[in-house]
Amino acid sequence: MPNIELKKITKTFTSINEATKGEIITAVDNASLKIKKYSYNTLLGPSGCGKTTLLRMISGLENPTEGKVFFDKKDVTNMPTQERDIGFVFQNYSLFPHMDIWHNVSYGPIVRNKFTKETEKYIHSILKMVKLDERAKAYPNELSGGMKQRVAVARAIATKSPLMLLDEPLGALDVRIGTALRYDLMKLVKKYKLTAIHVTHNQEEAMTISDNIIMMKRGKVIQSGSPKEIYKNPNSIFSAYFLGRCNFFQCEMIDKNTANFQGTIIKLPKNYTRKKVVLGVRGEKIHINNILKRENIQGTIEFINFLGEKWQYIIRLSDGTEISALKRTPHKAKIRQKVSISFYADNILIFNKPKDFESEKSV
Amino acid sequence: MSLNVKKHFGDLIYIVTILFFLFIIFIPAIYVLTYAIGGKIEISGELMKALSVSFSVALIVTIINLFFGVALAWVFVKSKSKYKIWLDNLIDLPLIVPTAALGLSVYLFWGEFWNFEKGLVMIILLHIIFTLPYMVRSVAASIEQINNTYNEAATTLGATVFTLFRTIDLPLFKNGVVTGAVLTFTRSLSETGATMMVASMATMTAPVFVVNLKNSGDVPQAAVASIILILSALSILFIAKFLTRKKHFNFNYIYPKFEQSLSNLYNVRNFILTLFFLFIILIPTFYIIFYNFANFSPIFNSQILESFVISFGIAFAVTLVGLIFAIPMAYFIARSKNRKLASLFENLHDVVLLVPTSALGFSLAMFWGKLEFNELLILALSHLCFTFPLLVKPITTAISNIDFSIEESALCLGASYQKVITSILFPLILPAIVAGSIMAFMRSLSETGATLAVSHDVKTISVLIVDLVKNNQLAEAGFLCFVLFMIAFIFLIVLKGTKKKM
Repeated sequence: MPNIELKKITKTFTSINEATKGEIITAVDNASLKIKKYSYNTLLGPSGCGKTTLLRMISGLENPTEGKVFFDKKDVTNMPTQERDIGFVFQNYSLFPHMDIWHNVSYGPIVRNKFTKETEKYIHSILKMVKLDERAKAYPNELSGGMKQRVAVARAIATKSPLMLLDEPLGALDVRIGTALRYDLMKLVKKYKLTAIHVTHNQEEAMTISDNIIMMKRGKVIQSGSPKEIYKNPNSIFSAYFLGRCNFFQCEMIDKNTANFQGTIIKLPKNYTRKKVVLGVRGEKIHINNILKRENIQGTIEFINFLGEKWQYIIRLSDGTEISALKRTPHKAKIRQKVSISFYADNILIFNKPKDFESEKSV
Repeated sequence: MSLNVKKHFGDLIYIVTILFFLFIIFIPAIYVLTYAIGGKIEISGELMKALSVSFSVALIVTIINLFFGVALAWVFVKSKSKYKIWLDNLIDLPLIVPTAALGLSVYLFWGEFWNFEKGLVMIILLHIIFTLPYMVRSVAASIEQINNTYNEAATTLGATVFTLFRTIDLPLFKNGVVTGAVLTFTRSLSETGATMMVASMATMTAPVFVVNLKNSGDVPQAAVASIILILSALSILFIAKFLTRKKHFNFNYIYPKFEQSLSNLYNVRNFILTLFFLFIILIPTFYIIFYNFANFSPIFNSQILESFVISFGIAFAVTLVGLIFAIPMAYFIARSKNRKLASLFENLHDVVLLVPTSALGFSLAMFWGKLEFNELLILALSHLCFTFPLLVKPITTAISNIDFSIEESALCLGASYQKVITSILFPLILPAIVAGSIMAFMRSLSETGATLAVSHDVKTISVLIVDLVKNNQLAEAGFLCFVLFMIAFIFLIVLKGTKKKM
């Protein structure tokens, strides 16, 4: 264990919601993916995209309607959860309220009938790692949110399972504690040589901890790869927008490597054959110029936001398109001032124009 | 009215409600205890025997219910089967079927159809039926409250079904089990109307004995029996409060082979539970309907008509009067800032609910008899007494479940107190009011024990049934039971409808 492979997984539910009762809802739609040993993976996507359902199918808490799950080439689709040898960290931690921390953490080895003197030492060492050794006799309701989260992780590690599944493990914590715990999580996974699959909707979280990001939208796996790969080469408008934000320009092609954006001619980094195209440019790649140049795109500064380490300029173009430019140092331009913007051809991302641009971008 | 006056007006309602509860409900209910202060306490051999029958029946029934009730509740909550909805509809039926009708039905099934003899076994079989719903409902309610992710977490950690049941579910729903056991025990201890149908002269329970003593005019022995019944119900309540205090359970061991093998017993378990539910609970309850098809003898005479008018009149009146006081009482218990006082009153309601009805009836007869009231009025007051807690409980729960911030936001939006109650609170608790009213109405319609202890000449419909059975007019009694049964069934359907809206 565990190289994990999902083959054409589909999960449908019958709605029990009053308004849509009886309708079939597809939570996961024909998703296939491979997870490498000892890697830290995140399932990233907006809420309702099916990422949690996918994780639950890997754990066996949910059974796929169609498709198969493999652990190291072995078909485990119908294997009960108890036998899959996994560690699972729940979003609300699910610490057993009637057991103290020690018994919560040792529950896994005990019910697997693997509790020995060595396990005891092992659990002590894990509790020490998560800095809760002294609170072993405390009950869950006596702990803070961050502590509970660490107990939940310790409980999953104590099973000695090589696969760790985490369902929004940092989602319920306040931002500062959540950010600090990210690194602890990553360290623990590497120290105990685990394979981790971590569900989150937080793109910043996904980028900092992952070796591999799996982007999901509406039940489908859109793209997977390292954070760098996806950021540099998003394969869709959604990927570009969800991981790191992006500005889009809807253009018409003039010839095979030039596009027209409302009268402004834009040179593309490579040839493109269709008639219509959407160009994406990351905020930090946009240059603002106080001198209004004819050949550049022009707009008006609507907001200037100071974000601490950088400045964000919101520029409204004449057709209503909103552009966000990020600068490390403040620009001279002021609010309501007309400016022109420009970017290098190398920084342009090229996408097919979808039928409905807004819904493609939206989460 | 100025705000200040309004505030005092609110206090006034509370004070009137509390006085009503204390002097109309609570003190009359336990008035018989004062008898112990002056009178001599002597326990005759017969009373001793009746008490020992009562306690052993209650104990055996509780043990059987612990086993089947917990198992049924667990299957009931966890099962994804489509038959579950049927169980959900049928399980409350014995609760709402008039006890005399239930008793007769059970007697006809076991006694006439299977030729069993009246006595201990039949009493136990009967008591299992009407106590099981209490057990299943209270355990199921507490299982439903358990966050399902605890189970999922235990599953991912490797626990098999039975291990999970023992280490996660059982400790977490322990309080529901204790509540169910208390209700089972005290209901079994106090039931009169149905038990009369299956008890023999040689083997009778204490409440039946109380009614007989009362009828034969042996007031001192009846008082002693009532006191013992009330005190034992109270002590069980205290034991239960004590048992529910422990909250922490740490597990260090599992029994892998044993628990694994139990976990694999799925199908056997379902088979046994189905058999139990069908043959011990369902068919005996419904048997009276089949019996009626075979021995149909509709009777209507002026006496029956009068009994119907009395029964429905009293049921309607006590529900209405009860509601007037139950709503402010429920609001007081749910919202009072003085939590200690509120929980004291909540417990006092439990006490009234747990007092065995024949003892209660005896106590009421003693209390109101002193004032030489009209018999019908005393009967109505006694019905008010045991139906009142049934009204207060669901309404209190409904009000507690409403987030107080909803009322606060209505106040901030400018609504007056009155407006908040009529436009916000009332619509939200309406399903609970309906549910409580139906329970109170049905209880009043079907109650036998207290009614028998109070009445001489005024006969409610259930008293009439008891009389008919005594005269061996089984077919006629069967017909009346059938009518009551059908009324109960209609109410049950209405009740289900309101529960869905809650």
